[in-house]
Amino acid sequence: MTATFERLSALLVKDYKLAPEALTPDAPLEGLGIDSLGLAELLFNVEDEFRVTLPPEPVPLETLADVVDFIDGLVAVQHGGAAPVSRAP
Amino acid sequence: MRRVAVTGLGVVSPLGCSPGEAFQNARAGRSGVRRLEGAFAHRLAAPLAATAPFSGDAHFDPPKLRMLDRVSQFALVAARQAVADAGACPGDADPSRAGVFVGTGMGGTQTSDDGYKVLYGEASDRIKPFTVLMGMHNAPAAWIGIEHDFRGPNLTYATACSSSAVAIGEAWLRVASGALDRAIAGGAEAPLSFGSLKAWEALHTLAAIDAADPSTSCKPFSGNRSGMVLGEGAAMLVLEPWDTAVARGAFIHGEVLGCGLSTDTGHITRPDVAGQVAAMHAALQSAGVDAAEVDAINAHGTGTQANDGVETAALKAVFGARAYRMPVSATKAMHGHLLGATGALECVLSLLAMQHAVALPTLHLQQPDPACDLDYVPNAAREGVALRTMLSNSFAFGGSNAVLVLRRAS
Repeated sequence: MTATFERLSALLVKDYKLAPEALTPDAPLEGLGIDSLGLAELLFNVEDEFRVTLPPEPVPLETLADVVDFIDGLVAVQHGGAAPVSRAP
Repeated sequence: MRRVAVTGLGVVSPLGCSPGEAFQNARAGRSGVRRLEGAFAHRLAAPLAATAPFSGDAHFDPPKLRMLDRVSQFALVAARQAVADAGACPGDADPSRAGVFVGTGMGGTQTSDDGYKVLYGEASDRIKPFTVLMGMHNAPAAWIGIEHDFRGPNLTYATACSSSAVAIGEAWLRVASGALDRAIAGGAEAPLSFGSLKAWEALHTLAAIDAADPSTSCKPFSGNRSGMVLGEGAAMLVLEPWDTAVARGAFIHGEVLGCGLSTDTGHITRPDVAGQVAAMHAALQSAGVDAAEVDAINAHGTGTQANDGVETAALKAVFGARAYRMPVSATKAMHGHLLGATGALECVLSLLAMQHAVALPTLHLQQPDPACDLDYVPNAAREGVALRTMLSNSFAFGGSNAVLVLRRAS
């Protein structure tokens, strides 16, 4: 479990009321009730949590591990490594 | 034209979150109006509202709930109740011949407020991705269609305070004409966001707070009335052809006999006797009912100076001397003004009033007004009143008048 995965999981438990045991890296987003529209909203919240800026084009992500890798990629480019603290309220 | 039966009822309201609870509270003369609490209450001239005892958490999974403005939550829960009540619906009907007709005056007001707060208040350029989906006026109807697989027309009516009466009338017309075999019809409104409350306050139509007892602040037809109180909620009906309802052994709550629409063209807010009379006449004509057959009225009865006097004059013009002998109930004193949902809620209460032979009360009628001299069933319900046919009046800003003609089932 990476730090990014832990932070993403914490967000999903707190804001989406998802059960922690359901949050495994290979868990499909659809199975968590997050479809392509829901993913757009999740990534909006990811922007706040990880202080990153999303690219304008849609991103095809299917599992939690995909989301974690996507976040890590954005953090590496935009912050040069570790994600800064959340700006979420 | 086919006869149209009401086989399902659903209610989320300040008087309770089921048709039975709302009706019993209305029958008992309980007010759902209360002093409004919350962060912005101190910035309101009269912090009053009729709030529904409702939490979306009890009805929706969190990912779904994140997509639903409160107005859609109300609509979905009321529609679920109505469909469950109707039974055997919609599976026994062709989904393409099943339609959804919903009235809402203001749509997703909290979503709009939240968006403005971020954009203007916080000077942020980031607005939530669901803002359009939650705020759009047809979201409540669309979600109902999705949840119940009603694939025919899915229509939203925004005629302010007559929205849901219009929606029910439009659904009645389609079922009666044979165009549809099933309809969910009603209205939903969630107007208690800060922005909405301030906008209504600025229009000087809201009641002053009754300091002694805030729950009595809305006083329809009373000489000391000072305005309306905003309420929130939804009410939905399932409509189907009378013959198929009988054939499948459904419980029939009552019958929609007709609907009349008219438009005042004189002023954007000022009610007009002639327009209201025209709507009542059109309703009676569409129902094939003589004025002498009408036993009682659910009045629009907002508690504003302008409406209540004009409506009284319109009732006299339509019913003549009979107007003085029929019960005229203004239930908004209890449930507040649900704007786009109010016609549907009052339709449900009227159907249940006929079923239970009760004339519902007009609460807080404290002082006589020479301009309002009909029998408003003051302050307590009247039991044991045989009611077979009722009108439910809804008169809106914009001059959009809608009147439903309803009949007891038996």
